[in-house]
Amino acid sequence: MISDEEPFQISVPDDAIALLKRKLEDTRFPDEVEDPGWDYGAPLADIKRLTERWRNGYDWRAQERELNALPMFTRNIEVEGYGSLNVQYVHKRSTVEGAIPLLFVHGWPGSFIEVTKLLPLLTASSPDHPSFHVVAPSLPGYAWSEGVLKKGFQGKHYAELFNKLMVSLGYTEYVTQGGDRGRLLTLTTASIYGPKHVKASHTNAPVAEPLTFRRNPFRFIKYMVTPYSAQEVQAAADAERFLRVGAGYSLEHSTKPQTIGYSLEDSPVGLLAWIYEKLVAWTDAYPWTDDEVLTWISIYWFSRAGPTASVRIYYELAKSNESLRFPEISVPFGISIFPKEVVRSPRAFLSAKASIVFESEHEAGGHFAAWEQPEALASDLRAMFGKYGPAANVVSGCSGY
Amino acid sequence: MPEETPFKIAVPDDALSLLQRKLADTRLPDEVEGAGWDYGTPLSDIKRLVDRWRGGYDWHAHERELNQHLPMFTRDIEVDGFGVLNMHYVHKKSKVAGAVPVLFVHGWPGSFIEVSKILPLLTAGGAGHPSFHVVAPSLPGFGWSEAAHKPGFRGTHYAELFNKLMLSLGYSEYVTQGGDWGHVITRILASQYGPKHVKASHTNMPICSTDIFGTFRNNPLRFAKYLLTPYTPREREGMARSRMFQKTGMGYFAQQSTRPQTLGYNLGDSPVGLLAWIYEKIGPGTDNYPWTDDEVLTWISIYWFSRAGPSASTRIYYELSKSEEVFRTPRTSVPVGISFFPKEVFHAPRELLRAELNVVFESEHDAGGHFAAYEKPEALVDDLRRMFGRGGPAAGVVPGHSGF
Repeated sequence: MISDEEPFQISVPDDAIALLKRKLEDTRFPDEVEDPGWDYGAPLADIKRLTERWRNGYDWRAQERELNALPMFTRNIEVEGYGSLNVQYVHKRSTVEGAIPLLFVHGWPGSFIEVTKLLPLLTASSPDHPSFHVVAPSLPGYAWSEGVLKKGFQGKHYAELFNKLMVSLGYTEYVTQGGDRGRLLTLTTASIYGPKHVKASHTNAPVAEPLTFRRNPFRFIKYMVTPYSAQEVQAAADAERFLRVGAGYSLEHSTKPQTIGYSLEDSPVGLLAWIYEKLVAWTDAYPWTDDEVLTWISIYWFSRAGPTASVRIYYELAKSNESLRFPEISVPFGISIFPKEVVRSPRAFLSAKASIVFESEHEAGGHFAAWEQPEALASDLRAMFGKYGPAANVVSGCSGY
Repeated sequence: MPEETPFKIAVPDDALSLLQRKLADTRLPDEVEGAGWDYGTPLSDIKRLVDRWRGGYDWHAHERELNQHLPMFTRDIEVDGFGVLNMHYVHKKSKVAGAVPVLFVHGWPGSFIEVSKILPLLTAGGAGHPSFHVVAPSLPGFGWSEAAHKPGFRGTHYAELFNKLMLSLGYSEYVTQGGDWGHVITRILASQYGPKHVKASHTNMPICSTDIFGTFRNNPLRFAKYLLTPYTPREREGMARSRMFQKTGMGYFAQQSTRPQTLGYNLGDSPVGLLAWIYEKIGPGTDNYPWTDDEVLTWISIYWFSRAGPSASTRIYYELSKSEEVFRTPRTSVPVGISFFPKEVFHAPRELLRAELNVVFESEHDAGGHFAAYEKPEALVDDLRRMFGRGGPAAGVVPGHSGF
């Protein structure tokens, strides 16, 4: 039986909207060198257009109403050493009683909004594919989840939080799906709470640390003598480029989150540019509408804890050395590889860390797979967990049908 | 003396009222308990500085002071491929006609203000020490200098710009002093225009080129000595400081050298954002320099009210990182003087510097940090007087301008 849930509706106060408008009206734009394209960062013409739309034309209340159509709730979850955290989450049950409980975890600069398109697909009932009960929390410090103001909130604390959330909702056994930060956090949950609670994990962010001779001598040797596939060659080039020119935000978040925080908290156009640069860089020619972009950013702007809270996760996970790690898991693991995902590790790194029971490679799509390619991702999850799939019936009594 | 257009800073009223409106609407973040400086600029400092900036801090008074004490000018200089750039600079001649012309180049997040304390000391005449004519420009995109409008403004262009500035002021032979970007730019200047125009260089930020093999080829014996000489305690301390900075303090560098425009929207639009970004470096970057709040706010206001806006100032990181000039500063035979201040964040082993450059003067200090000209003006000027004075290793480098 599901215990009490507090239904939640987003309701940004009028004076917060008025403050945003005032700030937007007083926006002071920088100059730009001639014809920079995207080389120096988000182009001025884009940012000017988006700022103008945000100031005049974009209707937050309409977007808020749309978001409120998602079944959202809040709940207090106790995390050892951190007291009680109030977590906001989306929770939708399928009509299929034996649907598979699935925990979906977003990252930065995403949010709970990323589950929106997947939700109807995953909870749909059909004899041809499994159905899921979906739980999609906002990470602490994101959207309307409370932030953490005590140092050291690491992977294991997120894991505790998520596991307690799922168990409190009556899902003592469940599977996970995560991208970006969600990858590490769901895999950490699987590592600590699987196979007892977490039965399987899926990610669209195929990242794992490099093989070393010391840890896996045979695999390492095999890896050294096996030629790269064409995709792996491309992936290595993409990753190198990302680290060379696209990772400044990550170093800043990981070392001085408070410093960049003052800008993100105080400047709408600053927050917009900081996030928009990645929404474009990390997607596969996704046709963002201006209002879509502005809603993604408004969630950060109007968030309960403020934008600064959202970047602290980088600092804490860097300090605990977890950022690029692949935790040891013993449960079945599935990956969906989208061509424009930012970092795509060689297959050999991933198979050294987990038993890959499901793998799918796509022709289109980037970092925000659930938003860009919801049918493809849903299809992958259905194939992985379906009747004849490699992770069929992992959750006792929940075949999905 | 060629004509100079005098310049006075005169920030318009509407710029001041915009700043006030923005400050009144400042939205501050929360902070992790016990964060200190670990997570970035502390909230308590920022709150105090914002409150002061809003009420109490008088920009007009500081503007007046800058205008009164610093003789400033502007001048159009043509740079190959970039057209004309209008340059803002401080220029003060000594009463001593044979004073040594010195070009002083600031860095980031500094400005022309860094010359203000050494200016009267350098230009002062005296029997026992040399005197200097001082030229201190604002880098393009800083202070009231126009920013380059095209991509690709590299080290060679800065060098061309500043050499032309000195020549246009009648100084065909001169010496240079620089820290931070000033170090990199004066190195490139010396390599391109020395020893014909640039006769000697002095720096307070000792960094080595990453081109270690080049250094070895340049001076194999000296390089061998470097390999064999154990580090002194000072060197070890300095390098530990450098390593710490590399590990925890390079976020700004990574962002500015890859996506300066994205950051620029923040710095241009948010006074508190700009304040925090810069104060993170000037607060801890000195050797316990007793910054007053108004001093800090003046340093930041120069960026806020700058001609090109704060964003433009970050592009130097992008351009010079792309061209690797910040890592592989060129070799030069021009004599070099180095002042070592213990709390400088960038350090290099002494022997390696001696292998890389023609080091003729060295001075070790017990106190002082990155902003030497501002923190330790007397010490820095004393070093320059000794380097260029009678009997000094660079005495008389500029013919006809011994300083006496």
